[in-house]
Amino acid sequence: MRKKQCVAMLLAGGQGSRLGILTKKMAKPAVPYGGKYRIIDFPLSNCSNSGIDVVGVLTQYRPLELNAYIGSGSPWDLDLTNGGVFVLPPYVTGKSGEWYRGTANAIYQNIGFIQQYDPDYVLILSGDHIYKMDYNAMLMDHIHNDADCTIAVREVPWEEASRFGIMNTDENNRIVEFEEKPPKPKSNKASMGVYIFTWKKLYQYLTEDEADPKSSNDFGKNIIPNMLRDGQRLFAYTFDGYWKDVGTIESLWEANMDLLRQPMPIDLYDKKWRVYARNPGMPPHYVAPGAKISGSLVTEGCEVFGEVAGSVLFAGVTVGAGAQVTDSVVMPHAVIERGAIVRRAIVAEGAHIGPGCIVGEETGNIAVVGPGASLGAGVEVKAGEQIDADLLQKA
Amino acid sequence: MKDVMGLIYTGENDIRLRELTLVRAVAALPVAGRYRVIDFLMSSLVNSGMRNVGVITQKNYHSLMDHLGSGKEWDLHGKNQGLVILPPFLTRENVGVYAGLLDALKSNTGYLRRSRQEYIVLTNSHTIYNADFRGMLRQHVETGADITIMYTRDPAMRRCAGGDETAFFSTDETGRISGIEIDPTEPSRECASLEVYLLKRETLRYLVEQGAANGLHDFGRDIIQRLVNEGSMKVCGYEYKDRVWRLDSVQSYFRFNMDILDTQVRHELFKHPVYTKVRDDMPARYIGEPNVQGSLIANGSVVEGTVINSVLFRGVRVAKGAVVRNCVVMQDAQIQEGAEIDHCILDKQAIIRRNGRLIGPEAYPIVIAKDVVI
Repeated sequence: MRKKQCVAMLLAGGQGSRLGILTKKMAKPAVPYGGKYRIIDFPLSNCSNSGIDVVGVLTQYRPLELNAYIGSGSPWDLDLTNGGVFVLPPYVTGKSGEWYRGTANAIYQNIGFIQQYDPDYVLILSGDHIYKMDYNAMLMDHIHNDADCTIAVREVPWEEASRFGIMNTDENNRIVEFEEKPPKPKSNKASMGVYIFTWKKLYQYLTEDEADPKSSNDFGKNIIPNMLRDGQRLFAYTFDGYWKDVGTIESLWEANMDLLRQPMPIDLYDKKWRVYARNPGMPPHYVAPGAKISGSLVTEGCEVFGEVAGSVLFAGVTVGAGAQVTDSVVMPHAVIERGAIVRRAIVAEGAHIGPGCIVGEETGNIAVVGPGASLGAGVEVKAGEQIDADLLQKA
Repeated sequence: MKDVMGLIYTGENDIRLRELTLVRAVAALPVAGRYRVIDFLMSSLVNSGMRNVGVITQKNYHSLMDHLGSGKEWDLHGKNQGLVILPPFLTRENVGVYAGLLDALKSNTGYLRRSRQEYIVLTNSHTIYNADFRGMLRQHVETGADITIMYTRDPAMRRCAGGDETAFFSTDETGRISGIEIDPTEPSRECASLEVYLLKRETLRYLVEQGAANGLHDFGRDIIQRLVNEGSMKVCGYEYKDRVWRLDSVQSYFRFNMDILDTQVRHELFKHPVYTKVRDDMPARYIGEPNVQGSLIANGSVVEGTVINSVLFRGVRVAKGAVVRNCVVMQDAQIQEGAEIDHCILDKQAIIRRNGRLIGPEAYPIVIAKDVVI
């Protein structure tokens, strides 16, 4: 295996339980976003565009959807002879095997994978956020500072700072203190969960951490505080682009709505920084005579006969005649039959909304119709309700 | 169908497509919002299970090669076989630019010899259909034919522009072709050939080498028509019953794009998936309250104005107050504020400036060539 300067490790094992029904059967990074993407397309495209061409994806929770989606990695140009994208599930050794016990343990268990490439640096990512970031610029900063660890931060509004992991830095951006959700924050630099480590240092700290039975084997709780305690060189790298956590139903919905704003807060047209995705390969979308679409995103394969306003339609969605879809997110291959009304809702992949159904309300929480759920004619789904396909079948 | 290979010939006459084929082969002509003509053929071959597909290129083949790449979009980037692009070349036996299909085949007998499949499906590249060749192979084997030719009885295809070597034939009750006419003034036979030939690879090699030895040039007349007339081989017809389009003029190109605005027609044409080169555009954006009716809109487009009965390719921009009616607008073209176009075909990156107005006659759409600014 040829040496690589930097290897990326993408932590994609979490369920994202706050996404409720949407992550019942798939891991959070596989959740659809923005009409044609899944969350994981953003970190993978960032790697590809930053020239980082070895990416280990650590999976654990419900990996089928994610494995199938990543495949050979060709949509992100990560199907390489020397490098590429690799799915790394937990494994068994000898008589025992174990799950990933924490973020640091997940990396520890894959030390063998990293060492194949004899890297100088390791980039740690999560599959939870929507953002476009040049990891190479961050790496240059890390090298320039002769850092042991560089943590990407963004400046959050002061009043929200106590909800985040906050980095207190000196005038050279060197981190002097790390506080998890401080009641009285001294800084507004919140960690984005994107780290670059000098591999030799990380190797040392991972090994020590693993030997400590009291550790919870987590980067934020253990590795970073330990490195600070020992006076290692930790630096903050400020990122000021669009960054959105999509960990809850509300924030996933909001992140989709962000794409409808003028101008778009995240530029997905940039030909020099494409966000790649596995392509559904369908014909262009069709808008029938009598249909009406305003302020929306519509993806290939859709057929719109009704009215769509302020919404994001994913590939292959059908909106029947007389149906109204407003302020909603409709995921791939969902069908909204004639006369149905969908407001402030997320309709998940393959869901079927029968004629005359009313999903969601003009105000209140987002209603969710789960993946593959099928509603008969005239069903009402209230604001904040979640419809589970499995429970429907039993009923 | 592992035992069948595909071979697409892309050198046909394209004089009546005018500016549209100035910069590209017919096979590379953009259609239906995001495809090229050859995508339908390639996808039909691959969906029928073929793993070895050759594409004979002739002129202007740069855009075709750029589009096909390694063949990975069609899963044709295999180790031992997959996509093989066959451009013309000059050697002692080779004539360089091909005078016709027979010439092209003669120059590529090496490829025919090295391929391992028993059968071959040989096609042209200016017809659009979405066929499953497995039915054709079954009939070919069952009837014990030496050559099977796919045809349509669609009366719309019984037209003949002349000079295109279009063949019409009739069959007897066993399906065997009883008579064939090429480029008639008025076709008298009911089956229009789709120029899709299924035969044993060795048979094709034999016919090509014999033909060349006898100084013949024309595959349709000198080989197929002669075999039918002499009765020395069993040549049968296979009827393709779905809709098919031949793109041999600006009008027929325009008509195809308008035809697929019909939902039923479109569903039938896309009943098997059609693969194409991916561009990684974001979904189409509707800004404000545009008026879009009866149209196909591809990813990457931005629509703020009015679009009626039209096909917009990837990355097209229709500004506020612009009106696009009965048009085919290829990728990255722009219709700026207040401009109005009707019955136009805009080639790639064409721009209609602010308040420009271009109204084509219904019978013959105006073609705006690639990169032209009006």
